[in-house]
Amino acid sequence: MVTMKGSYLGELEELILLTVGALFDEAYGVAVMDEIEKQTGRSMNVSAAHAVLRRLEEKGYVTSRMGGATNERGGRRKRYFTLTAVGKKALDESFAFRNELYKRIPKMAFNFSL
Amino acid sequence: MKQLSPPKWADKFLRWYCNPDLLEEIEGDIYEIFEREAAVDTQKARRRFIWNVLRFFRWANIKRTNSNYKASQMGLIKNYFTIGFRNLSKNWGISLINILGLSVAIGMGIAIFIFVDMQTHMDDFHSNRRNIYQLINHVKTENSTAMWADAPLLIGPDLVDKHAGVDNVVRVEFQYGNMRFGDNVFSELVSFVDPALLKVFDFPIKYGDVNALENKSYVVIDKNTAEKYFGREDAMGKDVSIKYSNGVIQNYTVGAVMDKTPDKASFSFEIMVPMDNFFDLQLEDHYDWAYSTDAIFIEMKEGRQPQELEETFRGFVALQNQTSSKWPIDKFEMVPLEKLALRSFEIDGSISGSGHPAGRIGLSVVASMLVLLACFNYMNISVTAATRRLKEIAMRKVIGGNRRQIIYQFILENMILCTFALGLGTVLSYYFFLPGLNTMIPITIPFEFSSLPMLIAFFGGLLLFIGLVSGAYPAFYVSKFQPTSIFRGNEKLGSKNVFSKILLGFQFFFAISTIIACFVFTDNAIYQAEKDWGYNPKGIISMPLVEASDFQALRDAANRNTAVLSYAGSNYHVARANKLTKADVLDKEVKTYAFHVGENYMETMGFRLKEGRFFGDSKAADQSGSIIVTEMFVEKAGWDDAIGQQVTYDSTRYTVVGVVENFMCNAFYDEMLPTVFTAAPEEDFNYFVVKTAAGNEKELDEYFASAWTGIAPNDPYNSKYQVDVFDYFFKENQGNIVVISFISGLAIVLACLGLFGLLGFSIQSRKKEFGIRKVLGADATQIIRIASKQYFWTILIAFLLGAPAGAFLITQMINAIYPDPKETTALPFILAMGIVLVTTAVTVASQVTKATSVNPVQTLRSE
Repeated sequence: MVTMKGSYLGELEELILLTVGALFDEAYGVAVMDEIEKQTGRSMNVSAAHAVLRRLEEKGYVTSRMGGATNERGGRRKRYFTLTAVGKKALDESFAFRNELYKRIPKMAFNFSL
Repeated sequence: MKQLSPPKWADKFLRWYCNPDLLEEIEGDIYEIFEREAAVDTQKARRRFIWNVLRFFRWANIKRTNSNYKASQMGLIKNYFTIGFRNLSKNWGISLINILGLSVAIGMGIAIFIFVDMQTHMDDFHSNRRNIYQLINHVKTENSTAMWADAPLLIGPDLVDKHAGVDNVVRVEFQYGNMRFGDNVFSELVSFVDPALLKVFDFPIKYGDVNALENKSYVVIDKNTAEKYFGREDAMGKDVSIKYSNGVIQNYTVGAVMDKTPDKASFSFEIMVPMDNFFDLQLEDHYDWAYSTDAIFIEMKEGRQPQELEETFRGFVALQNQTSSKWPIDKFEMVPLEKLALRSFEIDGSISGSGHPAGRIGLSVVASMLVLLACFNYMNISVTAATRRLKEIAMRKVIGGNRRQIIYQFILENMILCTFALGLGTVLSYYFFLPGLNTMIPITIPFEFSSLPMLIAFFGGLLLFIGLVSGAYPAFYVSKFQPTSIFRGNEKLGSKNVFSKILLGFQFFFAISTIIACFVFTDNAIYQAEKDWGYNPKGIISMPLVEASDFQALRDAANRNTAVLSYAGSNYHVARANKLTKADVLDKEVKTYAFHVGENYMETMGFRLKEGRFFGDSKAADQSGSIIVTEMFVEKAGWDDAIGQQVTYDSTRYTVVGVVENFMCNAFYDEMLPTVFTAAPEEDFNYFVVKTAAGNEKELDEYFASAWTGIAPNDPYNSKYQVDVFDYFFKENQGNIVVISFISGLAIVLACLGLFGLLGFSIQSRKKEFGIRKVLGADATQIIRIASKQYFWTILIAFLLGAPAGAFLITQMINAIYPDPKETTALPFILAMGIVLVTTAVTVASQVTKATSVNPVQTLRSE
């Protein structure tokens, strides 16, 4: 685990971080919101997505850049987010940790329901 | 095609609140969602748009400061500071005296504020204070009702059983007793208290605990008493004895020692013993409803109101009225502990000692006046200083500064100065004024505020008040001028400013009236101090007797010592123990002091005989019917020839055998009264008076002190030199002189500082004029006259108004305090006038030399 102060990864943060990684080059506010709704079925407000994205950026897990002018949305630019190396590492550790715990569940537990 | 647009107001709101750095992406995202949804359902899209705008309205997205704007503002403020400091250092001399004057006034103000603040927050260290009340009686007297702290002794702790709202009842009964430990014997005020006292009140305990008074044989003493009797030894567990007025001796063990009494305590107890011992003493035949104890405190249970007790109290009033017809109680009042010290002046026999509010109000008024005076002074100089900066102001306006910025600048400069002054004033007050105040009053005031909000409110308020009052006028005044008229040279100010003259006049008015008051007061105080007492107090020592046998023993001791010139015994003693009574002369009643004296008393005291004789050797005859009176008694009685007249006093008839000159019986606050002397037998004596040659007092005092330990080991030796009997009066007088001189000194210094500053500016701005005058042949005296005449009339008017005002006020005060004031003479006026003239002249001279020393070549050369 990354143990820096304030580096704790909340559940929604982890989800959005994963989404940013998955969307690769197309991760901006509305896209992240849509993707999460599509994948998990949970609806969230776009302002919440913005808040989490900005928080992740402060923690250094993502970086952002402004895109070019667009045709839609009145020509306003989008802010695109990309996963950083630190962000990737945080996801890896989180995944490894879950995997580790998962593996330790005794076989019995699976058989129980049979 | 229908234009799809989101609600305009929502978009406007977003743009208004949103941080510009984030606006594009946020607005973009909201628009994108809107466009997508508008294709399906316009109304829903619009609602969603509004919702999204509202959802983005969170702290992280809100525009806080405009960074560009901030930078320019900071630059301006920095510039204000720079200019402010430049101005201060350019006129550093005047700035310095300005700050000094202001800080002295502030320092005084702080010290007096702390004093008043403490006085209004007495006793707030008792954590239960909100539930503690003192039971006060309203007693019907002949024509009015009085408030008495004394309340019926029978309202005791069993009130707790009678009423559910009462948590504790504590009675306090004071009795004098002589406490003894080994050779240490002192007369003490002993407080009999109910054991709950230590629990109800939060007096700090050093050794022992709050249950100490539950044990009947325990005594609880305070730290000072412990040191007095036991020195450095541990007081706990020591056995002491106390002998009471009826001769009964009770033995106690020290059960607890109190720590230093908090400064804020308006009452505390030096020696406490459990109440039960008081009943054992049997000082009275019976303790019924007529007997009042000194104080009763009632602690209510949390949340219970004192009004609940009214019904119970009505029952008590009925009971008391049946028993005591002399002092019938009208009603009881529960005075909260928090208000007790403030109201103690109106309660007779209050145990909570605290001054009359008049002192507090007077001090506050004086302090506010001084601060206001310093503000005026400061304001005056700032206006004059500001008028010399008109070009700077015009320049600022021309290059785009608006009026508000100029006002800000001036007020900020003032704030800088005031902050300096406030800091310096605090230091002065901490090291100088408050310790000074502490030496003059019997209590100690610590440098602290009752609460933090109070401290912040006081200092913040003071800074704001002084900064604004002294800064606002110059700021608003000079900022309104038009640059064109300034550059053209039309705005000539400062020199003929009526407002500044009024302020200066007011300062001089105050200074002159206080100085006159100071001299008249001091003159009177000296007169009082030097007044003839009517006898020679030098070399006389008096000591109180306790047992009848003490007199014989002391007489024997006196006979053995050759330093003793004469001695006598007496019942009551002049100035130390006066008996106020009435004597009947024919149909008249004369209010008089009376002393019953032994052989040689009149001679020992050195009273001056005017007519007749002192008590002779024929003691038996004198004791039965001779009386000596003072001249004033003769006057009051209206006799032409006093000797042989009849006086009835204490239902005995006396014949006047002698008349003595009037003499001082009491401190000079009280009106002089007639006095009579009758002869008394030895067994009535309660004072022993001895006279020695002046200078031998100390030696003789020590001789009698050691003799006394052999005579009455259970009673304290308590001698006093006759010359010291009015010490408290002279000390107080001295203190008053110090305070009033200080205030008047401060006032004249402030006024002269103001004059100094104003003259300085005016002369500087008229240097060219003086240069031209010199070139045209004016000599020094003409220049001096021209330079100083500007303020001559102001000061003269201030003097003409201030001198009678000060004299009137102080004579009123002196007449109210002293029954025998000195006739007002011209001397104090001449002295005060002299001082004001000299200081004013020195101030003017120090500035005017600048005008006379002007070198025309230099002042006229540059334009």
